[in-house]
Amino acid sequence: MKRRRAGQLPVVRAGFIPLVDCAILVVAKELGFAAQQGIDLQLSREGAWAAIRDKVAHGVLDCAHMLAGMPLAMQLGVQGSSMTMVAPMALGQGGSAITLAPWLVAEMERLDAEAMQGPRAGRNRALAQVIAARRQQGEPQLRLASVHPFSTHHYALRHWLAEAGVDPDRDVDLLVVPPPRMVESLARAEIAGCCVGEPWNQWAVRCGVGELVVTRQEICPCGPEKVLGMRADWFAQAGELVQQLAAALVEAAQWADQEANRQQLLQLLSQESYLDTDAEIIAPVLQGEPFLQGNVTAHIADYQIFYRQQALLPTLKQGQWLLQQMRRWGQLNAAPSEALVQGEEKYSKNDHELLQAIYLTDYLPQLWLV
Amino acid sequence: MATKANRKPPEEQNEAAQDLTILVIDTDAERAAILEQGLVEAGYPRVMTIRSFSRLASRIALLQPDLILIDLGNPDRDTLEGLYQVTQSLQRPIVVFVDQSDRNMIERAIEAGVSSYVVDGLRKERVRPIVEMAIARFNSFEKLRRQRDEAILALEDRKLIERAKGLLMKQRNLTEEQAYHAMRKAAMRENRKLAEIARILLTALQLDS
Repeated sequence: MKRRRAGQLPVVRAGFIPLVDCAILVVAKELGFAAQQGIDLQLSREGAWAAIRDKVAHGVLDCAHMLAGMPLAMQLGVQGSSMTMVAPMALGQGGSAITLAPWLVAEMERLDAEAMQGPRAGRNRALAQVIAARRQQGEPQLRLASVHPFSTHHYALRHWLAEAGVDPDRDVDLLVVPPPRMVESLARAEIAGCCVGEPWNQWAVRCGVGELVVTRQEICPCGPEKVLGMRADWFAQAGELVQQLAAALVEAAQWADQEANRQQLLQLLSQESYLDTDAEIIAPVLQGEPFLQGNVTAHIADYQIFYRQQALLPTLKQGQWLLQQMRRWGQLNAAPSEALVQGEEKYSKNDHELLQAIYLTDYLPQLWLV
Repeated sequence: MATKANRKPPEEQNEAAQDLTILVIDTDAERAAILEQGLVEAGYPRVMTIRSFSRLASRIALLQPDLILIDLGNPDRDTLEGLYQVTQSLQRPIVVFVDQSDRNMIERAIEAGVSSYVVDGLRKERVRPIVEMAIARFNSFEKLRRQRDEAILALEDRKLIERAKGLLMKQRNLTEEQAYHAMRKAAMRENRKLAEIARILLTALQLDS
């Protein structure tokens, strides 16, 4: 926006990670919603969430596709200097799942067929059985991956394990693997499973190295996976520009949710400059018919949504959940208390103000955009 | 380990460098080699390099480096952050270097102090020379790469021009000199590079035939 010249639209530089839920940014740019709102939206594909964070922190990018917990972690200075952050909107919901190696799923079926036949979210009981059996036999811990320490994926995975009595810090080996490397890590048996965003679960299933066991929404309804994150000073200084951007993104999200536009959206996303993948890998995600194992699909309503069900609105409830997860898992340098583990944490006034300043739940409604 | 090429007094070297194990993570083998060599020359003899991401976490746990150098955009950075987030005891300083397109950023970061890029555990004055060295090396590598790219491009241009000239000679019955002259004239008139004219010609002439 600084480089405005006569007759040119102001530039907004936005970073994204090649995942299905970068769609709204791509649509806003490619279908001209941004230009119609008077913005030259320049998208920059990044290789790591860490790069997104650093580039936004140092003003190389104005805003970015961020994991929901990232603005909060940045503001809390968990990984370096603290920075006042804002997330005026979310970028859709869903599109992530837990995928486990086929041998592990077979073990789960052998040890607890009942849990495996019940609701998908209850399959953690079978996983706990396998983990207990391995411990008894002195076998090495299962290695499970998520995509980032502050991702909903990481927290959902921990929550799901803990719910079945598995201690995520002691009973399994949790690590971070970047999404584009997940399938290869599964194929090389370096990990036994992961919680990752699409299209990587679909890739793993189609390659025969993984089975989609449960979706993230089925584990916990913890709101949007990604938000549009930016520095608070840029937000204040850009003023109307952010409103224009938000308007463009809302239009893009409405467009992206419509079935009639699905083919075009698939074409856009699969392009080399975005996801650089086959449209047929992404199609089942958008159709809500993801592949679970081999050729078996399941109908999962709203598996990936962009606009419906307030998928663009960050909520304080989600912020509270994220903060609670950070504390519960010792990410804020404090020992996890029993109350936190039980999910009975008292939520202080300071917490409320902190979250309210970051996750702007009223931003879109006040602009009459949703 | 390579011989030490540095000429600092031994006691200073001891204090600053000898006890530091530095890990370079870079999939670009050439760049990693240049960084590694630079660190050795600067008096940091204990340098290791990881080029593939396979089993990264366990390899780092095994190597226990004092400091890690990694490209800003490298996806492995997320793995590192996961490692250090979950197991606080393993915390190590991570220094990132950045590619040409983000140069302004690192310059600003350095002006602001390296601290924002360095996890607690190592004194800033010991990290700074390494960062500066990494950047200097990185720049000279970028220059080398640019020169090489330019050389490759020049070679490709020459091949293109030769092919266009050959086709022009055959189809228009011209001598080599006439064909070259015609292309030069077109290039000057259109204010384009000769190679661009050659590319246009090749497309057009191949359509004709």
